[in-house]
Amino acid sequence: MGKGYRQAPGKSGSSKKRTDGKREAGQQDFGVPGSGGSDPHSKLQDLDYVPESVGGWKKQPRGPHVHDQHVTGTTIGKSTPLVDANWKMTGQAQYGDDIRLPGELIGKILRSPHHYAKINSIDTSAAESMEGVFAVATGQDSANRFGVLPVTKDEHAMAREKVRHVGDLVACVCAIDEATAIDAMNAISVDYEVLPSIHDMEDGLLDSENPIHDRGKYHIGESNVQKRVFQQFGDLDSMESAPFRHEADWEVAGLHHGFTEPHAVVAHWDPSGRLTVWSPQQVPHYLHRALSAVLEIPMHQINVHRTFVGGGFGGKSDPFPHEMCAAILARKCGRPVRINFDREEVYWINRGRHPSRIQMGVFADDDGRIAGIETDALIDGGAFASFGHVTTYYNGVLHTAPYEIGGFNYTGARVWTNKPASGAMRGHGAVNSRCAVEVGLDAVAEQMSVDPMTLRLANLLPPHSRTITGFRITSTGMRECLAKVREQSGWDEKFRNMPLGRGIGVGCGFFISGSGLPIHWDPENFPHATVHLQCDMDGGVTVHTGAAEIGQGSDTAVSQAVAEVLALPLDMIRIRSKETDTAPVDLGSYSSRVTFMNCNAAIRAAIELRGKVMKAAHEITGYHPDVLVIGDRRIYYKHDPAVGVSWLEAVHKAQADVGSLIATGAYRTAPMGGVHKGAAAGLAPAYSFSAYVAEVEVDVETGFVKVIKAWAAHDCGKALNPLAVKGQIIGSCHMGMGQVLSEEMKYGRDGHLMNPDLLDYKIMSVHEMPEVVPIIVESNDPEGPFGAKEAGEGPLLPILPAVCNAIYDAIGIRIDELPVTPDRLHKKIEKHCKQTGVDDPLDLPVPRYEPSPLQQQLVERAEAHAARDYQRDIQDDRSSYVNGVLFGFDPDIPMSEQKEGWRESVTPTAEDLADPKKRAAKAWSHVERRHQGDA
Amino acid sequence: MRMPPFTLHTPNNLAKALALAAELDSFDWISGGTDLLPNYKWKLNSKPDVISLSKVQELTALSGTVIGAMVRIHDLANNDEVHPLIRETAGTIASVMIRRSATVGGNICLDTRCYWFNQTEEWRRSIDWCHKCDCDTGADCRVIPNQNTLCVATYQADLAAAFIALDATIHLASATGARSMPFADFFELDGMTRNVLKPGELVTHVTLPDDAKNWQGAYQKLRLRETWDFPEAGVAAAWKISDGKITGLRVATTGCESIPGDHSDLAQDALVEWVGKDSIRALAEDVRKAVKPVSNTYFPPAYRRKMLRVLTRRALAPLEHL
Repeated sequence: MGKGYRQAPGKSGSSKKRTDGKREAGQQDFGVPGSGGSDPHSKLQDLDYVPESVGGWKKQPRGPHVHDQHVTGTTIGKSTPLVDANWKMTGQAQYGDDIRLPGELIGKILRSPHHYAKINSIDTSAAESMEGVFAVATGQDSANRFGVLPVTKDEHAMAREKVRHVGDLVACVCAIDEATAIDAMNAISVDYEVLPSIHDMEDGLLDSENPIHDRGKYHIGESNVQKRVFQQFGDLDSMESAPFRHEADWEVAGLHHGFTEPHAVVAHWDPSGRLTVWSPQQVPHYLHRALSAVLEIPMHQINVHRTFVGGGFGGKSDPFPHEMCAAILARKCGRPVRINFDREEVYWINRGRHPSRIQMGVFADDDGRIAGIETDALIDGGAFASFGHVTTYYNGVLHTAPYEIGGFNYTGARVWTNKPASGAMRGHGAVNSRCAVEVGLDAVAEQMSVDPMTLRLANLLPPHSRTITGFRITSTGMRECLAKVREQSGWDEKFRNMPLGRGIGVGCGFFISGSGLPIHWDPENFPHATVHLQCDMDGGVTVHTGAAEIGQGSDTAVSQAVAEVLALPLDMIRIRSKETDTAPVDLGSYSSRVTFMNCNAAIRAAIELRGKVMKAAHEITGYHPDVLVIGDRRIYYKHDPAVGVSWLEAVHKAQADVGSLIATGAYRTAPMGGVHKGAAAGLAPAYSFSAYVAEVEVDVETGFVKVIKAWAAHDCGKALNPLAVKGQIIGSCHMGMGQVLSEEMKYGRDGHLMNPDLLDYKIMSVHEMPEVVPIIVESNDPEGPFGAKEAGEGPLLPILPAVCNAIYDAIGIRIDELPVTPDRLHKKIEKHCKQTGVDDPLDLPVPRYEPSPLQQQLVERAEAHAARDYQRDIQDDRSSYVNGVLFGFDPDIPMSEQKEGWRESVTPTAEDLADPKKRAAKAWSHVERRHQGDA
Repeated sequence: MRMPPFTLHTPNNLAKALALAAELDSFDWISGGTDLLPNYKWKLNSKPDVISLSKVQELTALSGTVIGAMVRIHDLANNDEVHPLIRETAGTIASVMIRRSATVGGNICLDTRCYWFNQTEEWRRSIDWCHKCDCDTGADCRVIPNQNTLCVATYQADLAAAFIALDATIHLASATGARSMPFADFFELDGMTRNVLKPGELVTHVTLPDDAKNWQGAYQKLRLRETWDFPEAGVAAAWKISDGKITGLRVATTGCESIPGDHSDLAQDALVEWVGKDSIRALAEDVRKAVKPVSNTYFPPAYRRKMLRVLTRRALAPLEHL
């Protein structure tokens, strides 16, 4: 771009062009207007980036893609710094707490000091009469319930009849400054009647005199069970009699996201009577809906303004009570109100990973096939439902792949307890049980004396197949992921071959790339994502999207999608994604849906815009659009780049012809999935796959585990921006390693959260973070934008089991408790020493590996499957394949017709729940109130 | 989070500081502020007046044997004249940023810490306060209920163990005069009073014995992360070797009780019939028995005690073959 104008006149030529991709204020290159970009005589396309299928040189080992013809070689697949990075690096990005409005007041929230109590009365008179206090509000100011899921709305802006956990919101005040607000808050007196609280999730399964919530006729008995799930699929008899089995009882601590930016909100009712709420929100649309319901005003009177988000990871995806509080206070006093959390408040609002007790059985038959997976997951939801309905499903249904399994037997339950609410966190619901499955596989491989890597490779579902519960797998790069980490980590030399205290382990992951059904399901099939494009005289394109940029790079991804189709440099794309006033509805940044859905919508819009501009170019040049190429700000004849028209000329012509140059695109998921209750949970238009190998060092005397290095292969379909994908992989590793080794929300003996601060909530520091080798695998998803799938959450899953399995390799101890803190591991080491009759842990035996004959059988099967997958993937073999073919079933005949006793059941019988060990199953001992009359 | 209001005084020499201290009823000294200010934000026993020592030049001496109270931990860790054991210990404290602000005196006088105490005001209200900061409620201890006499909050400063191991002397001053004492005698077994400092008195400096340079030592620290975290247990050992024989051995612990522990008597006993590895094992076991942590920090007390054994063994590893 060196030959264009520069923004600083007179400096051109003297200043050097930056090559590191960073942009400097006032120093940006841009083309001479109307020139056709930086070079008036366009170069031919950069064919290195253009796919073979449309005449480029870009190799396509996975075959062509529907978007190939829109690849211009502009930006897709090139490492690109995030488009908003400079805003952040120069301190000009405005986060929640950076919003300052004239005349703002400071809001403070009075919180419950009790775990569970009835509110008899609240006296706010002293606070209200204080000088500098402008408004006080309590639960009586907001009667309407809200919640992120329409089926489980159980939150109020502030407690109305009772408080449900320490830190629950009771009242709020706003005052001229923070000190006054704090004084006013402390002047509110509340008369509580303390109720017996429950803290252990198993107590939540029992009948209670005072259930934490009352769901009326849908309440499950008199218990605190919020959601229960039962799913049985497949041949459970063979599973029960399987010769190899590993059953473990996992205890997994709750987690918090640990994002940098505490919650903050500003609410203002402007002079025209409309409400604007500034908040670092992952899901502005749901906040929009919740505000409307709580404040009883129509949605069109509300503008939700997403600020920059200082980390979300699922922790900013609920509509929050403090957002309601700010709006209520602002309405009461007619001035802007800002509420800013302390870190402790962040922990009290929580919505982190559920504390879980998971019984996991992994079974394998004599042929080394996975005969089945049996899971019972009891999860601790804390005081509110949040995303828990979905989490309860995800704990089971998201381990029905990537392996072909003989049977699937899942019971899950989520209970309310008097703790801060659990919710969605990166890897939502899949992380804990995935870890248990992968550790189980490792143990089963040990029993069979086979290489766990081979065991996995010989049991993978192929591309274009269906899981046992009916998920549609399109692309999968699982095999390639495993192959790459195996090779790069030196697995074959290291596995079961290192001295005591040094180990290597493998783990895999499988995650949704977008949720197939939107949370707010609409019978008219409202699109998941919509993008509007607007192009004006200046030739730049403004993208209107509601997709929430939360640091994951969604603004960059959508810019890239548009830039690629229109062959424009990224700085000609402007994003307007912050306000619901100007953005079309997008369902938000959760369930790793944004790249897949929003970029698909953006590509559609860009294609439409491109069509209009090409038509204008056609009219100017006389060449048919089919022989015109859109290049860097120039549209030219395919065979003679000198013949063409500049982007600007074409844009001006198009505007002259049709008026405003706008386009729109939307994305809906294809119809898919089974029909059983809960079939939609875990359904996604595509799935990501990953395989990691971790190498660890274990200090057997202290129980300290240090991860030395991790090799992390992730199949993201197509890396639109390899730099961002690698960042996501490394960041996921950091977060996952925190969960496996140190992070936990610790509750004291009286149920108090003991570590609501970043000193005692142990997020790994740079010292603990090992080198991570990110490996990108591209499986070219047929429906993904340019083949892309998610890369934001899936990469977190495999690091947990990889570390657990590496610990086994190092010292021969199976992990069934997370996090593996030194004290926990030390206890296990002591026990292990006793069992093996060793006094000094330094004398412990190390697991070794002698392959059994089955190993060779599995190697051969894995090779045959690799050939099968190649046929199905690259050679376009689309014959049907469903889970079960490996077990000899015909994919075209319903399984139940082929095998007596084949189960497809979502309602339990008494026999199904008889196992006294199963915890979540006990949730089914209650009868829903609406059915109680029948009994 | 807001700091409670206080009046800040910044005297520019020691005499003025001590005179001011004698006048004020209730105040805190502040040096680096890395311990005091977070506690103030949490409204933990904050005072109406705070005297800053930042301009008091007399407290910044630093040499091989004299260490002023206002020496920054970072400078201590990076000064070649300072005894290697002190340097090593100082280098493990908190993080680089905190070390640049925190001081030797502040570290020595670090307030004791407890899961039930180092929390926000709102949090502590939810447990009805605790003995160490009872907000005039006469609240009981939350760690060991039904005892209202002793606070069991944990002393989690690293330097104390190293100073005790090197047999350092601590020097105090007040408006009424100066005094000094063996380092271990500075502490008083109670998480609230913590040490012998009288109102208006402060630590001026620490001195090491003249032959300190003939002593070698090691510091072992238990903490989950290699930065930020306070010691969950710390063992400092120092020894003197002449003619291939150990002629002196001192061991001290920190991070386990309300005060640091001086176990030099145990070390002395072990020296009587020193047989290398086995003596170390026996001494490590004795140290474990001598220390009784309670459940008020990140790791459970049973684990911390067991780790004391490992840390002691590791600190003494260089003496295995002597």
